[in-house]
Amino acid sequence: MDAKLEQDIRAEFEPQIRACAHPQELVVHLLRAIQREHGWVPDEGVELAARLLGLQPIQVEEVATFYDKIYRRPVGRRVIHVCDSICCWSRGEQEIRAHLEARLGIRLGETTPDGVFTLLPTCCLGACGRAPAMQVGFRLYGELTPDRVDRILDEERRAAGQGDPP
Amino acid sequence: MSHPQVLFARRRPGQTVSLETYLQEGGYQALGGAVGKQAPAALRKLVLDSGLRGRGGAGFPTGQKWSFFPADAPGPKYLVCNCDEMEPGTYKDRELLVADPHALVEGMALAAYALGVTHGYVFVRYDYEDVFRALERAVAEAHGAGFLGERILGTDFGFELHVHGSAGRYILGEETSLLNGLEGVRPNPRLRPPFPAQRGLFGRPTTVQNVETLCNVPHIALHGAEWFKGLALTPGEAGTKLFGLSGHLNRTECFELPMGVPLREVVEVHGGGVRQGRRFKACLPGGASTPYLTAAHLDVPMDFGNLDRAGSRLGTAGVTVFDERTCMVAATLNLLTFFARESCGWCTPCRDGLPYVCYLLERFERGQAGREELALLKAQPAFINQSFCALAQGAMGPLEGLLRHFEQELLDHVTRGGCPFGGA
Amino acid sequence: MPTLTIDEREVSVPAGASVLEAAEALGITVPHFCYHKALGAVGACRLCAVEIQAGPQHGLRMACLVEARDGMVVSTTAPAATGMRRAVIEYLMLNHPHDCPVCDEGGECQLQDMTVAGGHGVRRYRGKKRTFPNQELGPFVEQEMNRCIQCYRCVRTYRDYAGGHDFGVLGVRQRVAYGRFRPGRLESPYSGNLVDVCPTGVFTDKTVRFRARVWDMQCAPSVCPHCSLGCATWPWARYRELLRVSGREGPRTNGFFLCDRGRFGSGHANHPDRPRTPRLDGRELGWPEALEALRERLTKLTWAHGPGAVGLLTSGRASLESARALGLLGQALGGAPVVCEPHPRRDRAVRALVAELGQLGRDQEDVRQSDCLLLAGLDPEGEAPMLALAARQAVRRGARAAVWDPRPDRLPFPARRIARLPEALLEALARPDGRAPDGLEAAERESYAETRAALQAAERPVLLGGADLLGPRGVRLLLAAARALSRPGRACGLSLALPGPDSFGGALLCPDGPDADELLAGIEAGRVRALVCLEADPLSEHPDPARVAAALGRLELLVVLDHLPTASAARAHAVLPTTAAAEMDGAFVNHAGRLQGFARVYSAGLPIRVTGQGAHPPREFRPDTPGELPQPGWAVLAALAGEPVELGELRAELARSEPRLAGLAGLVAGGPGVQLALEPSARERPDTPAEPGVAEGELALLSVEALFGSEPLSARAAPVAGVASEDALALCPADAARLGLGEGEPARLRSALGEAVLPVRLAPGLAPGFALVQRRFGGPLEGFAPGGGPIACRIEKGGAR
Ligand SMILES: Cc1cc2nc3c(=O)[nH]c(=O)nc-3n(C[C@H](O)[C@H](O)[C@H](O)COP(=O)(O)O)c2cc1C
Ligand code: SF4
Ligand code: FES
Repeated sequence: MDAKLEQDIRAEFEPQIRACAHPQELVVHLLRAIQREHGWVPDEGVELAARLLGLQPIQVEEVATFYDKIYRRPVGRRVIHVCDSICCWSRGEQEIRAHLEARLGIRLGETTPDGVFTLLPTCCLGACGRAPAMQVGFRLYGELTPDRVDRILDEERRAAGQGDPP
Repeated sequence: MSHPQVLFARRRPGQTVSLETYLQEGGYQALGGAVGKQAPAALRKLVLDSGLRGRGGAGFPTGQKWSFFPADAPGPKYLVCNCDEMEPGTYKDRELLVADPHALVEGMALAAYALGVTHGYVFVRYDYEDVFRALERAVAEAHGAGFLGERILGTDFGFELHVHGSAGRYILGEETSLLNGLEGVRPNPRLRPPFPAQRGLFGRPTTVQNVETLCNVPHIALHGAEWFKGLALTPGEAGTKLFGLSGHLNRTECFELPMGVPLREVVEVHGGGVRQGRRFKACLPGGASTPYLTAAHLDVPMDFGNLDRAGSRLGTAGVTVFDERTCMVAATLNLLTFFARESCGWCTPCRDGLPYVCYLLERFERGQAGREELALLKAQPAFINQSFCALAQGAMGPLEGLLRHFEQELLDHVTRGGCPFGGA
Repeated sequence: MPTLTIDEREVSVPAGASVLEAAEALGITVPHFCYHKALGAVGACRLCAVEIQAGPQHGLRMACLVEARDGMVVSTTAPAATGMRRAVIEYLMLNHPHDCPVCDEGGECQLQDMTVAGGHGVRRYRGKKRTFPNQELGPFVEQEMNRCIQCYRCVRTYRDYAGGHDFGVLGVRQRVAYGRFRPGRLESPYSGNLVDVCPTGVFTDKTVRFRARVWDMQCAPSVCPHCSLGCATWPWARYRELLRVSGREGPRTNGFFLCDRGRFGSGHANHPDRPRTPRLDGRELGWPEALEALRERLTKLTWAHGPGAVGLLTSGRASLESARALGLLGQALGGAPVVCEPHPRRDRAVRALVAELGQLGRDQEDVRQSDCLLLAGLDPEGEAPMLALAARQAVRRGARAAVWDPRPDRLPFPARRIARLPEALLEALARPDGRAPDGLEAAERESYAETRAALQAAERPVLLGGADLLGPRGVRLLLAAARALSRPGRACGLSLALPGPDSFGGALLCPDGPDADELLAGIEAGRVRALVCLEADPLSEHPDPARVAAALGRLELLVVLDHLPTASAARAHAVLPTTAAAEMDGAFVNHAGRLQGFARVYSAGLPIRVTGQGAHPPREFRPDTPGELPQPGWAVLAALAGEPVELGELRAELARSEPRLAGLAGLVAGGPGVQLALEPSARERPDTPAEPGVAEGELALLSVEALFGSEPLSARAAPVAGVASEDALALCPADAARLGLGEGEPARLRSALGEAVLPVRLAPGLAPGFALVQRRFGGPLEGFAPGGGPIACRIEKGGAR
């Protein structure tokens, strides 16, 4: 985490914190912002959030380690969340997951050697009508087929190469 | 078969209703008609009379909940809208909010007026970026137009609405976990009593309602309690219901149908029947935490009372259909894995009991289970239902359904030494 | 008082009690993990299932969460209840490692007990177990996360109860772990309670890892000797080595918990240099010879120079019986008076309290139950650590708290603070009109008025203070303030931290008489020619060590009875080894006037060290036990007086001669103790003059106790040796800047306590005009005895340290 990021986060949050009767309620918001800028939340991010909110780092860590989508370890530039809940399961999730693993050469929980993709399972994305589904960053992709997955990966890899936000 | 559209009346595929359109199509009339003109208590009474029941899964009568709320107590009070929507098979709130976010803003403003609340939160799950954006925009628009903020429509009534983006956990849908999540502490559920109506967010009286519940309020305010009851097809029920279809159907979309619509109509008409001409085997009628229904239940009216009587629950009305080739043991294992993974880790039956159930189901799938495992499996619901909150109890829905309707399938796994459907 | 039936027996319990507590009242233990009397019920473990068969609720319920109601019928043995409990145990055991053979909790493991009690004897789960990495948590507490059953007791103790802020819950689902944000020493002064509250072996006492099983150890109910609060303890010993201390339930004192000084400070009893053999003029000899020779010399001196020729000095460390025996020796020597404390100001402060306290004394339980607290000149972390926790519980329940103290605030609860010496404020509070003292700033005046009003309005107000900062004058003012705030039917109580575990008892036995300065003057004048020190170390406890050293040098005979290798013992002509508290029966009177007994845990002797390297202990056959010679102080003194007694006789004599100690006769160790019936003394006492001020160019130096390193017993315990904070001179940033000193820079400190060159530590919470040091044995601040109140000092940029 660099100094610039810290400055930006401070600039974004200090007014909000001042305006807030219970600053602690901003902790998830802050962690999400750090992750948005840094890709994941490093220890220094937890400490920064704690400093800004007047909390102890452990208080922030307790929250950070609870949530599924706060990454406390490095991830690739694109995090693929492939849904494995019942509706996707009933419509070919296993095939999609196997295809992703094969195409990326990694297993669930791993990051591609080039640092572009991290593959994680997720519970129901609320896209049950468009199963099987996955989410890359905040982009939701439904009605997946192996071909469609290939196209999405190409597209996302290209965008990541151009430095587009996830 | 077309049914009257209330919540989806303004929905256009691929679009989000803007403030302008919302106003053109009668939006904020309910708010205008109530604020400053109708006593809050009268509005609460109206909702009580309408028979509206919570759409978030538990089906608690909304008006009754509001009657416990200390609306006249001094000091801050909160209204929280629950849009965590992480229960597998459930996506109705997303459809509703992406289509028509102002409906929620108006519903919350009305509810806030009825409850004497000045601050509200919409709690949105992490993955619903589309909902989050639509809501932020709608809130800004409503603010600009005087439907939110300090002196709403020039009256003394003020209401501020904040949109909170979560970071991903099913348990936050449980209302007391949600409150902890909003406060920025670990989102384990809280001990009750005290109930949120006494001590909720930041220790203050709080009401938590589902998106769809709140979106119904403006319509009730405009058209009255009798009209609302009349929407239902079955006696004792009220309103329409959003049904999110999924699984092995030809059409897996979200429909607004009258309360009490028969399951057969949902499956065969709206869902277009089971894919590839296969036979209907079972369904989750109301999300991952409801016991299965089978083909024998196809004529059950989909409402709170009838589904209870059928041994299941209306839940969130997310209908997930399984065809004849589905291994119900594997399906149940998938569901239980979800619950085990989403356990908050607070209480033993959920934290450690659910993984144990998964382990047992896996043994069936792998052909490693015998009658001892079957007996063990059957014993689990009684223990796990003693969990601290309803998450693990919800997980017992599909397991109990499996044990009740598909015991033979479990036995087949034992005698075949593995999954008869070729799974795992 | 609802009356209900549990397992076919009726019981009435106070309204609000849970079914679990009602069962407890019948002696029925409903198995539980997450419930803890001091922490309350949270309903997490789901083990305490019972069947409710009649009453407002029906069916299987968690006993900890159901309020006992009239007419309820409860079964703890119904099949549904036992089945549920068995299932919960099975769930908890799924991932539990079967490492009991190498687990220090073995034998005292609640999980083990419950597993057996629940009938879970066969493992049916064949899957993988989840595992966690462990964290390094410092020298006291060992973590083995895999053993965790997620009862949340640790975090509820550490954080909720004790106010720690560096420990929490991490992760979710089946991967919930407890620990710090980063590995490192647990910062809370109460960290060791993790060991006691953890029902399994996640948190164990690192200082005694792999040393003994619980059944290998001797233990007996005892009273903590490390401060004046008298917390209830269980010391545990094996092979004549005091291994560890755990908390004992003390309803009026500690509740359940202990501070880390009390828990990890007991190793002084094993100190390798501790006196173990009587020594006279550099020669070791047996008891009979030593006593004989000393008795003769003392008698001769008295005979030649009168009873005043022998000085007698004790300290708050000595037991009540030992202090009495010293008095009896004085009588045997023709009436030599006893001096209670080596520090004269401390001595007078304690005597002032004991004389005037009457019924105003308040113990830890009273503090916990208080609704309004004023801490005037008290630094609990150094003087009485558990008092801070007691106050925290009151504040958690909604009590208001105010602090009047110039020192930085390190309390585990929020309080309104006036950063000044409390004297003038107390003086104002004691006046009938209560008008604020002059010289306060507006905000302070407002804060003062608010605190006074709150104390007046409160139902159970308590004033807390420390004898060290207040001194005799401050203590009298505190007493006067408490009286001024009392009304008929509603007293304002008082809780004062004293120097030692029996300071109260010592002062009770000798309410007047000379103080240490008068004693020194006697030596200097040549009147006093011999001095007997009972567990007292004037060289490090008197505020003028140089004067003491010179005086001791003039003595014809210095006799030291102690179990610590003190500076004074090193200078003595005769050293008589005494036993530590855990090695004897005895009694202390705590700060609030509660008489409590402690029992002998083991007999003194050289510990046998098991090296673990295969070597057998030396094979030496002898009829005695090496190092067994130390005797209780009272026994040595009685023998010295030529009148050996049994403890029972001594206690009976004490109970007769001092009616307030009548309770001593029936005192049992481990019992609740006896609150002394004290009458405030009617005697008119001259007011102690205000202390001399601080001149231009000087700062007011406070030398205080730290949690570790200051208190003479624990300072000599190996486990805490490494954790005492660095010697430093604390200054507020403004004073430091004026003196041209920055953080960490060396400063030369000159004061009547001595001189030292110390690194500067900037302490923003310290009031301007003050300098603060913490006395630490074994460093340049050893001679900076606490208890002197503020004294003048000069500070300048220092040279090399
Ligand atoms: C594990 C769990 C998850 C839940 N998730 C949701 C949810 O996503 N949305 C929701 O509205 N209610 C959810 N609920 C129900 C809420 O606790 C609460 O009952 C509901 O928000 C109340 O609103 P309603 O009465 O309008 O339905 C969940 C309950 C549990 C136990
Ligand atoms: S059932 Fe227990 S562990 Fe599971 S989510 Fe609820 S409280 Fe947490
Ligand atoms: S003791 Fe009752 S749930 Fe743990």
